[in-house]
Amino acid sequence: MKTRYWILIFALIVVICAVLTVCFFSETSASEQAYVYSDGALTMTLDLKENGEYRVRFGEDWNIITVKDGKVAVTSASCPSQDCVKHGFSDRGAPIVCLPNRLTIEFSSDASYDALIG
Amino acid sequence: MRPVYSNTHLSNCQILFDSFFRFCYTFFKISFEFGDLMKKLMICIVLIALLLTGCSVSEPEEADLYAMDTLMKIKIWGEHEDLVLVTDEIHRLDLLLSAADSGSLLSQINLSGSAELSGDILTLTQDALSLSEKTGGAFDPTVYPLVRLWGFPDDAYHVPTQEELDETLPLVGTEHIHMDGSSITLDKGTMLDFGAIAKGYAAQQCVNLLEENGVEAALLSLGGNVQTLGTKPDGTAWNIGIADPDNPSQAIAQLSFFGSKALVTSGGYQRFFEFNGVSYHHILDPKTGMPADQTLASVTILCDNGEVADAYSTALFVMGLEEATEFWKTQNDFDAVFIMKDRTIYATEGCAELLSGCEFTVIKR
Repeated sequence: MKTRYWILIFALIVVICAVLTVCFFSETSASEQAYVYSDGALTMTLDLKENGEYRVRFGEDWNIITVKDGKVAVTSASCPSQDCVKHGFSDRGAPIVCLPNRLTIEFSSDASYDALIG
Repeated sequence: MRPVYSNTHLSNCQILFDSFFRFCYTFFKISFEFGDLMKKLMICIVLIALLLTGCSVSEPEEADLYAMDTLMKIKIWGEHEDLVLVTDEIHRLDLLLSAADSGSLLSQINLSGSAELSGDILTLTQDALSLSEKTGGAFDPTVYPLVRLWGFPDDAYHVPTQEELDETLPLVGTEHIHMDGSSITLDKGTMLDFGAIAKGYAAQQCVNLLEENGVEAALLSLGGNVQTLGTKPDGTAWNIGIADPDNPSQAIAQLSFFGSKALVTSGGYQRFFEFNGVSYHHILDPKTGMPADQTLASVTILCDNGEVADAYSTALFVMGLEEATEFWKTQNDFDAVFIMKDRTIYATEGCAELLSGCEFTVIKR
């Protein structure tokens, strides 16, 4: 009989944890803009509402960035690992990174900074 | 304009826990009839719920208001009364300090040429004089006749002739302000203008009021001035974006730090006009009467006091990168980020540790 209650308590803890997870992580939303940094410098601000294709050069190397249906991806690149291409289309969360070509695509979100001065 | 308040006392999380408590309470009452073990079980549930509510973070009280010729955003993790206190204080200072508003106390002083000062105006005048001296006149509270000559207060822009400048420049300079205790006399034609420190002073006053009221965290964004108080309730750092001079709605870089700080940006892009294909911005060099340094796009100051940050941001923009760097080396109460017209960025040592999102050169002592 006692074991059953402990199972019940355990189940309750699991349910509470699940609710908490949803509560804390459901707030990330799609970005409307993406920021392209080449070698650490902001080189482009992409409007994700407008489809398009962009080429970013880094010396002899290059990345093709595609914006389609509100999402952005590196669709082609000169780098050997192709990690950036494998990242696929995204509109939020972790940045798309191409380490060899020093390219980063970051997403805007309401939480990225608390205030803007200027 | 009345501030727009948004009241968000309870986060989704808190509402969820509130419902959970009600559920537990009802269940506890019913389960009384089912014996000892059930009671223990319910106590466990309530304890777990209590532990978890500790995780929920309250949402801030927020207000947007237009004052001092800009949109101000105020966020306070405190009571609604604290928010009202701050908005009232800003409106009070706005009425007092606008040089352009003929009804303000400041414009009455400018009109009469002499007055007995008290309260905020006295403090501001004394602070302005000492900051002007400290910055070698790069920040000058008497620049208003020049600002007016260029037509900035009423958007009636005009590029003055050298003759006009020669007529106006002799009215500019703190040597035309004569203080005797709390009484002030201005030379004929000289005018006081706190435009370059009023927002910083207001932000600092508001933060002081909030601190006195025991508010633990607040974020005040008054146009180009940002002031933080305390630590964010979620324990994360304050992240303040520095506007991209070429696209001011976006950040070119970000400063991340903990605690109470004042940040102020002065940039030529904030207000300018074009005439015959030449761009003229609003930050005037008190020595020449012309828009200051054309190689700098903006200067951002990080320090502990809003009024000092405000004065320094203007002063360092007027000085230009080289002179500003030398000035920084002689002071130890602030740090700065310089964004050049060609988009290169320089940061003094203290800011360099906090700066991200861009490539920059570190200025060392």
